[in-house]
Amino acid sequence: MELLNYDFVQRGIITGLLVAVSCSIAGVFLILRRMAFLGAGLSHAAFGGIALGTLLRVEPFIFTALFTVLVGNLVQAISSRRRIPGDAAIALVFSGGVALAVLILGLVKGFGEYVFGYLFGNILMVTKEEFFFTILSSVVVVSFFALFYRKLVLLSFSEEVAKLKGVNITLMNHLLISVSSLVIVLSIKVVGIILASSMVVIPALTALLLGRSFMSTVLISVVVAVSSVVVGIGVAFYYDLPPSGSIVGAMILLFSGAFLKKVLKN
Amino acid sequence: MQLIRVEDLSFSYDGRVRVLEEVSFGVDKGDFVGVIGPNGAGKTTLFKILLGFLRPSRGKVFLFGEDIRNFRDWSRIGYVPQRLSVEQSFPATVEELLSLVAPKERVRELADFLHMNSFIGRQFQKLSGGQQQLVLLGMALASGPELLLLDEPTAGLDVHAQMHILEILKDLSLNEGKTIMMISHDIGTVLKNVDKVLCLNRKVLYYGEPDGAVEVIEEMFGLRRGAGDGTP
Repeated sequence: MELLNYDFVQRGIITGLLVAVSCSIAGVFLILRRMAFLGAGLSHAAFGGIALGTLLRVEPFIFTALFTVLVGNLVQAISSRRRIPGDAAIALVFSGGVALAVLILGLVKGFGEYVFGYLFGNILMVTKEEFFFTILSSVVVVSFFALFYRKLVLLSFSEEVAKLKGVNITLMNHLLISVSSLVIVLSIKVVGIILASSMVVIPALTALLLGRSFMSTVLISVVVAVSSVVVGIGVAFYYDLPPSGSIVGAMILLFSGAFLKKVLKN
Repeated sequence: MQLIRVEDLSFSYDGRVRVLEEVSFGVDKGDFVGVIGPNGAGKTTLFKILLGFLRPSRGKVFLFGEDIRNFRDWSRIGYVPQRLSVEQSFPATVEELLSLVAPKERVRELADFLHMNSFIGRQFQKLSGGQQQLVLLGMALASGPELLLLDEPTAGLDVHAQMHILEILKDLSLNEGKTIMMISHDIGTVLKNVDKVLCLNRKVLYYGEPDGAVEVIEEMFGLRRGAGDGTP
């Protein structure tokens, strides 16, 4: 418990909780829009952004957020015009981002040591700038979902019906992708590039198994994500394990429980 | 007043094969129009053009007297789509869905009018086909539209559910003065219930009273000896 008195530990826990809330809400909408793979694609595209930010000597976290939002919107633009299928567009940015990072890894000396923290995340290494950026971004993300909740549920139900009810489909899709790109970048700090999509996908997937209405599904998703972060960090401290693995492990356990419950019920 | 006016409309998805060819017709206020035609005749494409989802390759479309290119008042039109490819795990209840498009008071009215009270708290994806169609109809009616476009609202439903929906549509047409345009493959039901029939097979083959449509329908579907090659 003494550990909780340290600034960096408090920052880490609050960051984890804020990211859990943002990711778990976004995840419900992404899965229902059949965009679950977007998390994996954009987190790997973000890897390219981190490398590019390092090469350009700018604050990598904020630069990566802007870079990923841009890439996410590019995916949306090219897939919505049916030039290439959505999943193929995501695969493209997935490999493009990693390729960019690998190239820069070869060019920038010392980047290799620094990469490890981004690949697997390090919740206890959140800087003050990253902490404030996370708070600000989380406020933006939660406000977005609160403000456009009705339009987003309608959009997840049917684009045709939503359009006739006055929803600007193109604008709403771009806003959703921008916010989702932002939460994916935030989750990199908590669980790393490799596990970033799990923060978005697993709590939402668990909630979709248990929820009996849309609102209850969103709330369950938040509860699953927040409790996984708390349990994950606790286990990591107690057994001296990497927090990213234990957070995602807790999520998997909760998902398995929900899945089992559903199977037994049927 | 004509709520829909279509003039010389042609449409092609790829710029080569025409799905609709020089289609012209008008729908008056209060009309109940049945749209009949074989698969691939362009019925759903026609609806998508009327709803502004697709742009005509040629010709003009007017809604409530206004060119569709300038028309913005979509709340005057209610639409029930043919098939919704909603994600299997979509969790919203009927009440939640109706609340997205209507205030609380109106949700109660719609639930009463469409007899949805027994399943208003259930999830949409767990309802029967007939119940889902009622919910879609409820969402279409939420804003009190003057014009309803229904794309096969009774397809795949049992006889009881079909009759229930048709009763509601007749009520909307006769007692509430709604203008309805409905695509259906159920020729008998269409001929019995509508005021006008639009027979479509890329071109308009017939538009008028149901009585005069029988011969054209028989020919269109190849039901007359030595006639047509349409699919039944």
